[in-house]
Amino acid sequence: MRIIVQKAKCQGHARCAAQAPDIFKLDDEGYILPGDIEVAEGEELPASRGARSCPERALELDRTPAARVE
Amino acid sequence: MATNPVPDHVPPEMVRDFSLFTSPGMPPTPNGDPHAAVACVHDGPPIFYSRYNTQDGRGTWVITRAADQRKVLQDAETFSSHRSIFSSILGENWPTIPLELDPPAHGVFRSLLNPLLSPKRVLALEPAVRERAVELIERIAASGTSCDAMKDFAFPFAVSTFLRFLGLPDDRLDTFVGWGKDLLHGDDKERPVAARTIVAFIDELAAMRRQEAVDDFMTFIVQAQVEGRRLTDTQVRGIGVLVFVAGLDTVAAAIGFDLAYLARNLKDQQLLRSEPDRIPLATEELLRAYPPIQLIRVATKDIDFEGAPIRRGDYVSCATMIANRDPAEFECPNTIDLEREDNRHAAFGYGPHRCLGSHLARREIVVGLEEWLARIPAFRIKPGTAPITSGGHVFGIENLILDWS
Ligand code: HEM
Ligand code: SF4
Repeated sequence: MRIIVQKAKCQGHARCAAQAPDIFKLDDEGYILPGDIEVAEGEELPASRGARSCPERALELDRTPAARVE
Repeated sequence: MATNPVPDHVPPEMVRDFSLFTSPGMPPTPNGDPHAAVACVHDGPPIFYSRYNTQDGRGTWVITRAADQRKVLQDAETFSSHRSIFSSILGENWPTIPLELDPPAHGVFRSLLNPLLSPKRVLALEPAVRERAVELIERIAASGTSCDAMKDFAFPFAVSTFLRFLGLPDDRLDTFVGWGKDLLHGDDKERPVAARTIVAFIDELAAMRRQEAVDDFMTFIVQAQVEGRRLTDTQVRGIGVLVFVAGLDTVAAAIGFDLAYLARNLKDQQLLRSEPDRIPLATEELLRAYPPIQLIRVATKDIDFEGAPIRRGDYVSCATMIANRDPAEFECPNTIDLEREDNRHAAFGYGPHRCLGSHLARREIVVGLEEWLARIPAFRIKPGTAPITSGGHVFGIENLILDWS
């Protein structure tokens, strides 16, 4: 599973990091770091929780097989 | 009151008799529930026009759906924040910063201020916040079995937390609370007086810090450089005034509404007391149910927005308390479910102006509830008393007499 990060939409609510600080890393201002996130096996639940918690809809879950093969 | 003419471009069928200032439940009301009162707009059209919906009596479009509010607030180019709400009280025209700046200027100041209130910084501030909460609550617990939770806890807790952040001593706390009350809830005479007092206070503080630096927020601001230059006096004032006002009323109101809810819902109160791990999640639900703020934007161009013919210069209202009761966004929005998951509420706004103090505010509420529930046994609203609530630009609760005898 992968999380597509639309950095431009992030407004620093930090809700994702509140759910899973090790998956969603923030910069010094409290905004998400750029770049999509590869989710390690076993971390799907906190990762999808975190993605679903973003008020700006900046985080999108990508469960397509291609994302897994990559 | 609702006699403002409807602008020609607004179709008469889009005008609704609704106002955050004058509708039922909005003026000061004993035992009121202004948040539930505004939820009734969801029985009607998703967007409508209100003839009287700002402090100074202007008409606004009212955006009721959370998804539409997100669109408006994320599109600062079309929906500007430049409106000088504070300085217009004084008949002047300068922006509070960053609240009333638009991108790209907005982003420059946000980047300057973000690190001061980032999640990391707030973690470092937490011990002092907790210490203050414990101190206030222990004093309350020691002095009897009843108190006014607003006067004795919510206001002094919220205000002294941000005074400490600003680098100001606690000894004038009551004075500051008074200024805030007059500014946000006062009449046409009290508001300009309060605004002028706050400006003079901030100007004086900035002058002092320019002369002699100390390790505090105001010193940081007067020394800060943006694009290679020191801030102008007006910019320093714009930031100082905003941060002063933003922390005065909001956190106190949130804590007040939360404690009032718990006082009336003993089962939920007991659940959080016996399982304090649930408090952070519950706090999100209480922020969803009882957010204090209405956001206003000004259209910068003509736009047909979801069927509404919005014209340049029109005011557009995004009330967080309305978005947070949107049935399209939240299942059973009028049910308060302290275990609600996936709670992407609008209490701190959406888009670039997302509340700068949100991380601090959240921690204050969580810490406040944790320490309160750990020290005060089952409490309820003291029989014979009634909390007075009000709507408006910032929803409020004046008094909250709790009893645990
Ligand atoms: C429960 C408490 C609070 C709530 C519900 C709240 C809510 C909000 C909302 C909805 C906005 C967006 C306004 C807009 O888009 O026009 C905002 C902005 C802001 N808030 Fe808060 N706030 C709270 C506490 C605080 C505190 C404690 C501080 C300061 C330490 C603070 C500082 C600010 C600042 C500086 C802005 C302007 C940000 C910008 O324009 O970029 N707030 N707040
Ligand atoms: S929750 Fe969304 S807006 Fe907030 S930090 Fe994470 S990505 Fe950014």
